[in-house]
Amino acid sequence: MNRILILTGKAVVGILRLFRRNAGNLPGIILWHLTKGKACSMFRVDCPIIAVTGTNGKTSVTNCIAQLFEQSGKKIIINREGNNLDTGICSLLLRYCDSSGKVDADYLILETDESHVPVVYSQLKLETLIVLDFFRDQLDRNGEMETLIQKINGFCKTFEGNLILNGDDPNTARLGRANPANKNVKYFHAEPYAFATDTIYEASEGRFCPFCGSSLEYDYYQYSHIGRFRCPKCGFGDYKPYITASGIDLDKPVFTADGHEYSTKLNSIYNVYNMTAVVAAAKLYGIEQSVTDSVINNYTVNNGRMEKFILGDRETTLNLAKNPVGANMTLRVMNEQNGEKELLFVLNDNVADGLDVSWIWDINFTIFERVTRVVTSGTRAYDIAVRIKCSGYPAEKITVRPELDDAVEELAKTPGRKFVIANYTAVQPTRSALKRYIAKHGGECGE
Amino acid sequence: MYGDMLDLYGDSGNMEIIQYRCRMRGIDCTVDGYSLGSEIPDLSKYDLIYIGGGADLEQQHISADLLRCRDSIKAAYESGVFLFLICGGYQLMFKYYRDADGNDIPGLGLFDYCTVAPSSRKMRCISNIVVRTHFTGKEVDIVGFENHGGQTQGVRTPLGEVLFGNGNCSRSKYEGYFEKNVIATYMHGPCLSKNPEISDYMISYCLKRHGSDDELAPLDDRLENECRQVMLDRLLKK
Repeated sequence: MNRILILTGKAVVGILRLFRRNAGNLPGIILWHLTKGKACSMFRVDCPIIAVTGTNGKTSVTNCIAQLFEQSGKKIIINREGNNLDTGICSLLLRYCDSSGKVDADYLILETDESHVPVVYSQLKLETLIVLDFFRDQLDRNGEMETLIQKINGFCKTFEGNLILNGDDPNTARLGRANPANKNVKYFHAEPYAFATDTIYEASEGRFCPFCGSSLEYDYYQYSHIGRFRCPKCGFGDYKPYITASGIDLDKPVFTADGHEYSTKLNSIYNVYNMTAVVAAAKLYGIEQSVTDSVINNYTVNNGRMEKFILGDRETTLNLAKNPVGANMTLRVMNEQNGEKELLFVLNDNVADGLDVSWIWDINFTIFERVTRVVTSGTRAYDIAVRIKCSGYPAEKITVRPELDDAVEELAKTPGRKFVIANYTAVQPTRSALKRYIAKHGGECGE
Repeated sequence: MYGDMLDLYGDSGNMEIIQYRCRMRGIDCTVDGYSLGSEIPDLSKYDLIYIGGGADLEQQHISADLLRCRDSIKAAYESGVFLFLICGGYQLMFKYYRDADGNDIPGLGLFDYCTVAPSSRKMRCISNIVVRTHFTGKEVDIVGFENHGGQTQGVRTPLGEVLFGNGNCSRSKYEGYFEKNVIATYMHGPCLSKNPEISDYMISYCLKRHGSDDELAPLDDRLENECRQVMLDRLLKK
């Protein structure tokens, strides 16, 4: 039976390939139905599995960890296209298994959607789970965040493998108490960077101790609710970090982790946290320092995450923001720039974005400095325009252009520095619109 | 109240919008926050009390504290202070709220309705929503986003009739609760962002209590109205 199912799945992958279609999810969905939701249990995986989950940073951390092993000469399997639901992971394994379902690799490195961790790893034996953070993200699809954390917490109650947690995120660190018998819980942590604050700066989750309900006390906030916290009543947050990032200087940019200095290509505090998680994985698996250096120091992204374009002669930065934390971060980077600048915000409400756009009200637009004009676009162009207006920004400086090409033309018609924020399904269409503009009027693309 | 705990789905934006609409008209407006465990203020001195929505866990944490404030809230409500309640704030005003694990969270019992969580956490009313209302004296279709597990029963004076979405219960005909000084609704969005009539109804109500019968100065609501129209066209198109 098993063999028939595997061959059926493989045939679907083959047919899709024949038609040059990406076999992302469909084979997995078919197998999922045939096995009544137990598709991942079809496979025999003898090698260690490392999973990365959390709201922000999964793709970066998964790719870097994969590179650690690849550059160490190991054979790895990774879901690079970000197919991180059970069906996507199943499709991936179908491609790499033999007809008996045996998967041949040294390591499986799997980016895994937060809500799918219990589903997938009740069927496949997990060796290491890395949890980066929990933020409000696509709440309407996942239900309330507490439900999501409860799901993963339920999984962690019986999990005895390595659990690597962001110790500066109370939502994540609480998973460390799920299974008191698990001796393999490890926390990563970062010392304050130059823009850390004493008070909370952006709307966030989890300001109260999940165990006793007291207000958490913070030594500092790095961004949102991420920072060194402690519960004054029950001691939640008192842990010894496995890896600490210190000496963070985003101007250079450099940071030190586990006593070793890294100089990175990316200059955000997010990246420091992501790379600290990567250092934790490298330490756990005994990766050579030269390999870790090469991975972390060369890591860069080119998928609408702080991507550079030049529209005619206007320098432009595009950043993906699928939740308030991402958007607030871009606004900070914008503010740290001297001189006048203009913003294009592209907001969609397609299913993959979450139909609810109320998260834009958690973005702090009052911090705008020297922003001379705002253009809005996307299926919810008016929602973001209203939001920016009600933050006190002059309505007459806001232009709504629901069509993307119109919006890019509008943005580029005046001189100066430009920033573009686009949410999840908006980011690729926005890149395309920027490229069309450049093809027509000249300029440079990021690559 | 509890703005630091009950501000799911951008609900704190509602206060930002009220302040904005007052500021644009030169009306003084101060917002004070009340947090869990603070000294209970004399709520009758205020014009409007606002309570937003939160997750089950947060609602559990505040329900005991809210009971402590019961007398102060009740006195304020009876003296005519406006109550504006969203989602969790709406639910906590009734007799009780039964959460997904079957625990009864006692409510204030201010109004005669109750809410029961569905047995499964998976069953939630999550949708854009359009509600036809008449509370301003005119027919106004308001647009928001609902995301609630709780099923509210026994509302005799709803805010309006559901044209799209669920409302008080899964696929119910009516949404919210209304009295002349109470608007309670499941609508996030935040609710006031594309429904300026609700903000202005509350602002006028508060000004009238201070003896002013002047019409509110009109504001430029083109963005808000366009924003709502885009959604009405999309959701109600046959």
